[in-house]
Amino acid sequence: MNLELTQQIRDQARGLLKSGTVKGVIGYERASDGLTARPFFAYELTGTDQLIFDETCSHNLVKYLLDKKGEKMAVVVKPCDSLAINLLLNEEQIKREMVFIIGVSCTGVVETAWNQKSQTLQARCQTCRLPKPVVYDFLAEQEPIRRLEGELYPDILEMEAKPIASRREFWHEQFGRCIRCYACRQICPGCYCPECFAEQLSPLWVGIRIALGENELWQTNRTLHLAGRCTGCNECERACPMDIPLSLLNRKLEKEMEELFSFRAGLTSEEQPPFATFRKEEKLGFEE
Amino acid sequence: MNLLASKDNLIRWLDLLLHEHVVIAPVRVQGLTLFQPISKAEEVDLDFDNTTLPPKGWFLPPTETLFSVQRNDGQTKLVPAMVERDALIFGVRPCDARGIALMDKPLLQEPSDALYRERHARTVLVGLSCRQARPECFCTSMGSAPNDASYVDILLTEIEVGYIVQVTSKKGKMLLPESFTEYEGVLPTPPEPRAVPIKDVMPAMKGLFDDTYWERLADRCLHCSICAYVCPTCYCFDVRDYSDRGNIERVRSWESCQSSGFTRIAGGYNPRATKGSRLKQRFYHKLLYFPEQFQDIACVGCGRCIKACPVNIDIREIIDDLQQLEAKSGA
Repeated sequence: MNLELTQQIRDQARGLLKSGTVKGVIGYERASDGLTARPFFAYELTGTDQLIFDETCSHNLVKYLLDKKGEKMAVVVKPCDSLAINLLLNEEQIKREMVFIIGVSCTGVVETAWNQKSQTLQARCQTCRLPKPVVYDFLAEQEPIRRLEGELYPDILEMEAKPIASRREFWHEQFGRCIRCYACRQICPGCYCPECFAEQLSPLWVGIRIALGENELWQTNRTLHLAGRCTGCNECERACPMDIPLSLLNRKLEKEMEELFSFRAGLTSEEQPPFATFRKEEKLGFEE
Repeated sequence: MNLLASKDNLIRWLDLLLHEHVVIAPVRVQGLTLFQPISKAEEVDLDFDNTTLPPKGWFLPPTETLFSVQRNDGQTKLVPAMVERDALIFGVRPCDARGIALMDKPLLQEPSDALYRERHARTVLVGLSCRQARPECFCTSMGSAPNDASYVDILLTEIEVGYIVQVTSKKGKMLLPESFTEYEGVLPTPPEPRAVPIKDVMPAMKGLFDDTYWERLADRCLHCSICAYVCPTCYCFDVRDYSDRGNIERVRSWESCQSSGFTRIAGGYNPRATKGSRLKQRFYHKLLYFPEQFQDIACVGCGRCIKACPVNIDIREIIDDLQQLEAKSGA
């Protein structure tokens, strides 16, 4: 456990609950394996002693703000998670005055599974450019903060270099395994439709078959809906019980959005994602 | 009398079985171990903890066609789905075999599920004892054991010189090759998984339906369907008709009580509209409704849901919490 950060988070949480500023604090506590972290909601002062922070705190807790729209909540966010706050502010899903953001300066989280903790930083942390949250009300700080300069998309470039047929074969194998548990959607802060297109029955956009064709339709649509909106927390890939490398899809689109529109989701709450805007002078890419 | 199969003989036997059965066995796929049809014995990975998904998918597939309707020259023909070949599932853990026995209770009671019944009748289970109890395991608290032969046709237990072969059914006996020798030694002592006291959980649940415990637990739950799909005893499904130029196919797929689309009923009303109510349903079904109806808790202690849950909803913790809450409120 990172005592320095944990203490600052606990103190802040206590103050917020004591003063009645927030109804609850969404943070992390130790999981049932005694080793990794899990999300935790502290509503009482006594609960704040359970709050922790360390390199196993992978969850993006911003997702939970969508369930708590009517109540002012505090939420612990890492720099990467804070991007999702801007996304939800921009899309008017949460109100700034209803959230108290306890930012954490981060040195990266490691690969974890239940009862397993690796020594290796998650791939996304190895190339993280964001040592501090982009938005916060309080910052739990630690030293030193590294700024990493690794290559952002080596795996994407490798994939792009492959012929279409082998890419198709790769993805068919991956999507063929999908069991449509929708954990990727449920854990994603950018997925908040009251009724997902995948569950609409009339018209039926995607069928109920848990089989390649419909899985592929689900997965590609999910990815496209997140183009310019995915903030890269990679929780979908972490949650996937079938080990489908979803970050390859999400980051491919992230790279495209950067190249085409110089846009990265979540850096500010003001700038609309490119697919949510339309300018008259835009070229549509066909005869005009 | 138990038998002994050397490792070589076991592999040869498997290859032999492939002539007459679809053999489904644990295969390593990237970092996962999945039950898949094999074409050669050497594809099998017998050095696994437990498979990522339980073998239930071979009785109740993630997706299957129940029947189709074909239209040709003014004729309409209803074509029921058929189970084509006998199957043998190889390397089933005792807990998962019990899972199938538990699914039998709702699915084989009359009127029984025709395709499930047919697959069941045409499938042989060859079990594999566990040499180690994994941290997520608690099978002995849920009516099974790492070396439980009750729900399989043949149980294999690995020892230094090969596998001890225990035969528990006629179906199993008919499959044995002559190469297996008699084994007079003792069976190894099974590992001891963690004990989860469960004695007071049913009465506890009756008193805690409206407890805030569920809301707090639901705060963390994402309401994905991982727990249901990795569970060897969850058997809910959805049915949908597909039509294409006059031909119709009735398809069913796994569904789960965690999804709001599943609980929504005709007219659009959703009796379990909140996250908490759906999470509660999962545990009430497993720990109260199912045992009230079928005498057994609908959990075999395989621990897959504990391992796979992205937010660590841990059924063992919940069982403990409920009994403690009830003890406190009764005191």
